[in-house]
Amino acid sequence: MDYAIETNHLSKSFGDVQAVNDVSLRVKRGEIYGFLGLNGAGKTTTIRALLGMVRPSAGEVKILGQAVGPHGRSPWDRVGYLVEDATAYPDLTVSENLDIARRLHGIKDRRVTDVAMERLAIGPYADRKAGTLSSGNLQRLALARAMFHKPDLLILDEPAKGLDPAGVVEIRELLADLAHKQDVTVFMSSHILTEVDRLATHIGIIHQGHLIEDLDKERLDHFRGRRLEVKARDLDRARAVLTEAGYTVTLNEQQATIILSEPGAIERPEEIATLLVSQDTPPTRLAVEHQNLEEHFMQLTGAMQ
Amino acid sequence: MNTFLSALWAEALKARRSRVPLLTAIGFSLAPLVGGLFMIILKDPEAAREIGLIGTKAQLTVGVAEWSTMFNLLSQATAIGGAIGFAIIAAWVFGREFSDRTAKDLLALPTSRETIVAAKLIVIVIWSFALTLLNYGLGLIVGKLVVIPGWSLELLQSATVDIFGAAVLTIALLPYVALIASAGRGYMPPFGWAIFTVFLSQIAIAAGWGDYFPWAIAGLFSGAAGPRSELLGFHSYVVIALTSIVGLIGVFGWWRSADQAQ
Repeated sequence: MDYAIETNHLSKSFGDVQAVNDVSLRVKRGEIYGFLGLNGAGKTTTIRALLGMVRPSAGEVKILGQAVGPHGRSPWDRVGYLVEDATAYPDLTVSENLDIARRLHGIKDRRVTDVAMERLAIGPYADRKAGTLSSGNLQRLALARAMFHKPDLLILDEPAKGLDPAGVVEIRELLADLAHKQDVTVFMSSHILTEVDRLATHIGIIHQGHLIEDLDKERLDHFRGRRLEVKARDLDRARAVLTEAGYTVTLNEQQATIILSEPGAIERPEEIATLLVSQDTPPTRLAVEHQNLEEHFMQLTGAMQ
Repeated sequence: MNTFLSALWAEALKARRSRVPLLTAIGFSLAPLVGGLFMIILKDPEAAREIGLIGTKAQLTVGVAEWSTMFNLLSQATAIGGAIGFAIIAAWVFGREFSDRTAKDLLALPTSRETIVAAKLIVIVIWSFALTLLNYGLGLIVGKLVVIPGWSLELLQSATVDIFGAAVLTIALLPYVALIASAGRGYMPPFGWAIFTVFLSQIAIAAGWGDYFPWAIAGLFSGAAGPRSELLGFHSYVVIALTSIVGLIGVFGWWRSADQAQ
């Protein structure tokens, strides 16, 4: 398959510190890939390796089908990126900062930067020096610089950083629009799980340099669904009763909770209560809960720590 | 060529919008202005004392009020002032990308890193020559206004070679400043390097090895320590050319290959 991003056993160490360890990523074209991890998990180092900014200690990186490295052909005319903090030349205006990027991309049409400024709502600041911008508008400038040339692939490190709540929603809608209507692949790192959860069609979780989870659309839909949580004094007996009755039961031992995901149980929890009471193991708690990625993330990274 | 011109335009815009060109221009105007002041004083020390330009105990050892003295001052200012002044330019052009954390935005573009580095180096060369020209041109104007004796076309030709030759030799070593600004990720390491090389040059000249020490050669060329035909040989120019090439390989190689993890 032709992937927008492909890494094979990517590793990067700095001296004794193993920042990224044997990470194999596959990002299909048109996907919105959320790359999650705690601070220092290896997100930014992975992104820098994707962009050829750091040389892998082992493994290989392919972007839009082209190998990245000193001998690889450059795919950068089709890639837009934002790495770590949004920055710009402080003495130059917003418009001049974008003009520099336009020229370095070899684009002659000056209107592309005007369109990008309008899209990111920084048109009113076009003649203002970047050094005087608020952090939110600086972030918008950096996003405009990543997008003005209509790239096929956007690699964004914390794209919502510094934005106010309205800005977060605006950028989320913009990225969704780019992916769904213009088939742009978006690879975004974040530690704001709710944002990624709402937007991503594929999620990878990196922890201590290892890719510990790779959730495709099907598994993500599972996490985004509802579930029935059951607690009882005799959890083993309650579990046996429900299994005998034909329910598929999952036990969360850490929280001493039985989890039922099938629609029959979620839609009719009263039947579960009746069943358990009739078998002399009444539930102490019965609740329909929304599963979320945050919980899964915390479990995974907590377990690893 | 188009990508190079675009990169050159971008670097020129960054320079134009900053205050550093103005500050360096002020710095390089000092030598001709001070030179003119010296010429006024040397022409008539008693009058200068009377109007308070110098103290009664002042001992002026600059020389006599002649064009050769003025040109000597200008060429020394280019060699010694350039070692620091041109280094400030190179440190700013490269170091600011790290201080402002904008270097990462130059690394994954259709315009290659080598093209961007080449554009930066060309801006440094043009900027340094512009300052040399300012030093030279202002020196000529001030000299004419002060009316110094001893003008001749031969002297002008010789002084032009001294001043612009010293500039070329100083500029040739700026890739090291660029490399240290890049690897050191900011302004301070290259400033330290510039001061260190000036200090080492003095030791090399004092030890009699100045003709082999690249950072001393521009100073010797300028005539600061005597006629250059006695102080420098063909080997000196070979040394400086080879050192410059190694520096260029270093700065291009660093931008091409070094990990940009910050």
